[in-house]
Amino acid sequence: MTFKEFRKSLNGEGVEGELMKTVFISLMTSFVFLAVLYFVKLKNIPDFFLKYGFYLFFAVLSIAIIMPAVRQVRAFKEFPCMSGMMIGMTIGMISGFLPGFFVGATNGMFYGSVFGIAVGIFFGISNGKCCGVMGVMEGIMAGFMGGLMGAMTAVMMLNDNLKAAGIIVFVIGAIILSGLNYMIFKETKGAERKHKEDQFFTMVWSFILTGLTTWLMVFGPRSLLFQ
Amino acid sequence: MEVKKSTLYFGLIILVLIVGGIFFLRGGSSVTGNVVAQEGGALQEETQKVVLSTKNYNYYPSEIKVKVNQPVSITLDEKVQGCLRSFTIKDLGVSKYARTPQETIDFTPTKKGTFTFACSMGMGYGKLIVE
Repeated sequence: MTFKEFRKSLNGEGVEGELMKTVFISLMTSFVFLAVLYFVKLKNIPDFFLKYGFYLFFAVLSIAIIMPAVRQVRAFKEFPCMSGMMIGMTIGMISGFLPGFFVGATNGMFYGSVFGIAVGIFFGISNGKCCGVMGVMEGIMAGFMGGLMGAMTAVMMLNDNLKAAGIIVFVIGAIILSGLNYMIFKETKGAERKHKEDQFFTMVWSFILTGLTTWLMVFGPRSLLFQ
Repeated sequence: MEVKKSTLYFGLIILVLIVGGIFFLRGGSSVTGNVVAQEGGALQEETQKVVLSTKNYNYYPSEIKVKVNQPVSITLDEKVQGCLRSFTIKDLGVSKYARTPQETIDFTPTKKGTFTFACSMGMGYGKLIVE
């Protein structure tokens, strides 16, 4: 199961063959939803793109890179403890850190942390349970740490190169999650898929997460530093 | 010619990112606010001196009132420690690490309004009201 085989599997019929499609569907769902929101409501907000455009764009991208890993884990349902712990930790950490970072950059450390922790722990648990309680524990810890760290990093960089840091954080998150996709491919060793589903899951979760992030960034409460 | 599935989706993702990027990133730089008068400029008003200290791990006072178009000189007394010595007013483009209580942070606000001042890490903060 080399990386070359993994690349080949991206064109196959298995769950790996749907990874790119999942990213595409997630992006389309989020952007269409945001475009509708913009023409209905957000266009009336002064300096909308100036204040939130960059962070919303990368928040949407973050959702799009988390979704394929989640679907890949759901497809096989069960993993050995070592892999399951790594899955819970990686998904929990990245899905906590990225939303925490981008919400933290617009709403402050408290609200960014709470949002990042909530998303991180939720995805950490739901993916970490593939190996039982160890993965769940790992997912909770990683989501908690990732959410806190993401928001804290954003606020600490407010007077520095925050946007450049946002791009770097996103790229590193994408590389880590791609690594996880490869690890799952290697660990399952071409095993048969246990759970077949269409892209409805991707669309629903992209819609929910984009909606929540947008509401929080634009209308949600913010720390005194951001008022 | 048959296009690989991954290549097709990769192309579509890039396309969506370009369209989305144009849509969302057109706001440009987020730096807002006015220009701070340069040294030797036309503004020769009396300097407004402000001394900031700390209380409850934050700047004290946490609200400063100054007059527009008059130079402001802020000093951080010896109680101000750590990252709070790195003083910034993002919207006015003011940023200085005042190592000692003798160092001053000088600028001239040329626009009325309320601006947030903070340490470089956002741990301590307050309001600068320009009247």
